[in-house]
Amino acid sequence: MNLIRSEWTKLRTVRSTWIAALSAVAAGVALSVLGATDLLSASPSDLPAGWDPTSASLKGFLFAQLIIGMLGALSVTPEFGTGMVGTSMVFVPSRSRLLAAKAAVVAAIGLTVGLVTTLLSFTVVQLMLKSAGLPAAGLADPGVAGALVGAALYLTLITLIGLAVGALARSATTSLAVLVGALLLVPALGPSLPGVLGDLFGRLWPITAGQSAYTVVPVDGMVAPVTGLIILTLAAVGVSVAGHAVFRLRDV
Amino acid sequence: MTKLTSHPPGGVDIEASGLTKRYGDKLAVDDLSFTARPGVVTGFLGPNGAGKSTTMRMLFGLSRPTAGTITIGGRRLTELDDPARSIGALLDARAVHPHRTAADHLLAFAQAAGLGRRRVGEVLDLVGLTSAAGRRAGEFSLGMQQRLGIATALLGDPGVLVLDEPLNGLDPEGIRWMRTLMRDLAGQGRTILFSSHLMSELELTADDVIVVGQGRLIAETTLAKFVEDNTTQAVTVRAAAPDALARALSESGVIFAVQPDSSFLVTGTDTSTVGKIAAAEGIALDELVRVRESLEDVFLRLTHDVTEYGSHAS
Repeated sequence: MNLIRSEWTKLRTVRSTWIAALSAVAAGVALSVLGATDLLSASPSDLPAGWDPTSASLKGFLFAQLIIGMLGALSVTPEFGTGMVGTSMVFVPSRSRLLAAKAAVVAAIGLTVGLVTTLLSFTVVQLMLKSAGLPAAGLADPGVAGALVGAALYLTLITLIGLAVGALARSATTSLAVLVGALLLVPALGPSLPGVLGDLFGRLWPITAGQSAYTVVPVDGMVAPVTGLIILTLAAVGVSVAGHAVFRLRDV
Repeated sequence: MTKLTSHPPGGVDIEASGLTKRYGDKLAVDDLSFTARPGVVTGFLGPNGAGKSTTMRMLFGLSRPTAGTITIGGRRLTELDDPARSIGALLDARAVHPHRTAADHLLAFAQAAGLGRRRVGEVLDLVGLTSAAGRRAGEFSLGMQQRLGIATALLGDPGVLVLDEPLNGLDPEGIRWMRTLMRDLAGQGRTILFSSHLMSELELTADDVIVVGQGRLIAETTLAKFVEDNTTQAVTVRAAAPDALARALSESGVIFAVQPDSSFLVTGTDTSTVGKIAAAEGIALDELVRVRESLEDVFLRLTHDVTEYGSHAS
């Protein structure tokens, strides 16, 4: 508990944490709203069959996930950048415990920011859809609450992946490059690859698969929500195990 | 020095044994063995690149020895039950998040050690940073950052303090403060090990010296013995009648040289012998001083020898 308190102090006492958390929410909600404004001029009959108002209200995740991933990375990279990690490791010689405390704090922040971003985006966009006379989703509708929880968990897992990437890369710029590649480039370009590669880097890429977690209506070419969340969790565990191994074994 | 001790500080030995660190082809630390004792200030001296920081990093558990051990009271850092109360470390003083305030920086580490805000106030007070508690560490001068580093090291009131170049970048007042602090802490029975690449920094501070060059041990002794063993004795003498003095000195068979200010540098003897020679001839002396080869020269000579040896060996 002492360590969690200590890591929370480290994060809350630098501005970058708050900037990242607030801009993740702001960018997430703003982009979700922007994404939905396209639809407002449409009439209900224009919408494709199986249109999902829930996932349509979370388009801003595309950018929010990058910021929140960086928040995870920034919980560890500045310590390496400044060399402060040396002092941390004298106070906490068990590097596993040190990293675990960081993970706990970062996960809590990720979950909070994820929930706020999700609920705000969902509520604002559903209100817009409703006022435009389009079909809107409500919390009580089947599958909607589950999808929103899935959305918050998705962002939490991205935060933890960010932390693991930071522990591996030990540099904020490298972490950013890795996260842009993993979160934006591969999901955008992967599906166009031929055959098995297209499957691997399209449908089954953990980020793409994980994004099914916040769909209510099944989407063609996407894994089921629970499967997606499991794939993303496994990926997060994998990267975390690697990040932990490097954090524990590599000289500082 | 109030509030420093909440429990009797229990200094223990810092002991390196066969400590070796290899980076690729280069041996940064080469079979190094030494002991730093409680109750005294031990200076860890060597030119830049001699392996001082690498040794300290192995002590702090930040890097793994290729061979050998370095322990605190016989245990590795990772084996200590309560590290913050056992060892305090000053690594690079600039190793602080520039946007975090001094008080928050200390609070994070205090919490990791299970200590509260009160201890933060105490160590800030101890290092004279109370009025700067709310300022960002990035705005601090190097001297203030050194003080913050010392405050961090003292949080757990540890029996062993290991400081990497603590006098580096300090102004004269800061150097005096740090010296007094180290001496006081050692006087309470703690083990103090500090590194420096300047012999002059050790002169007034250290009781014991560990001298390294090229990762190898050159000397491990008391400062007094180190000086005695490695400096030649000489006397400067000046008289109103230099010719008479020169004659008297030659007749008594001592070795001397005339210096530009027409004083004489007599080597291999002491002031009382020279004084007696002059008195026997009735020569009035204007000046009679014992001079010592500067420790800096000794240090350079010793470490230079090692460098030479090292380059022949490779």
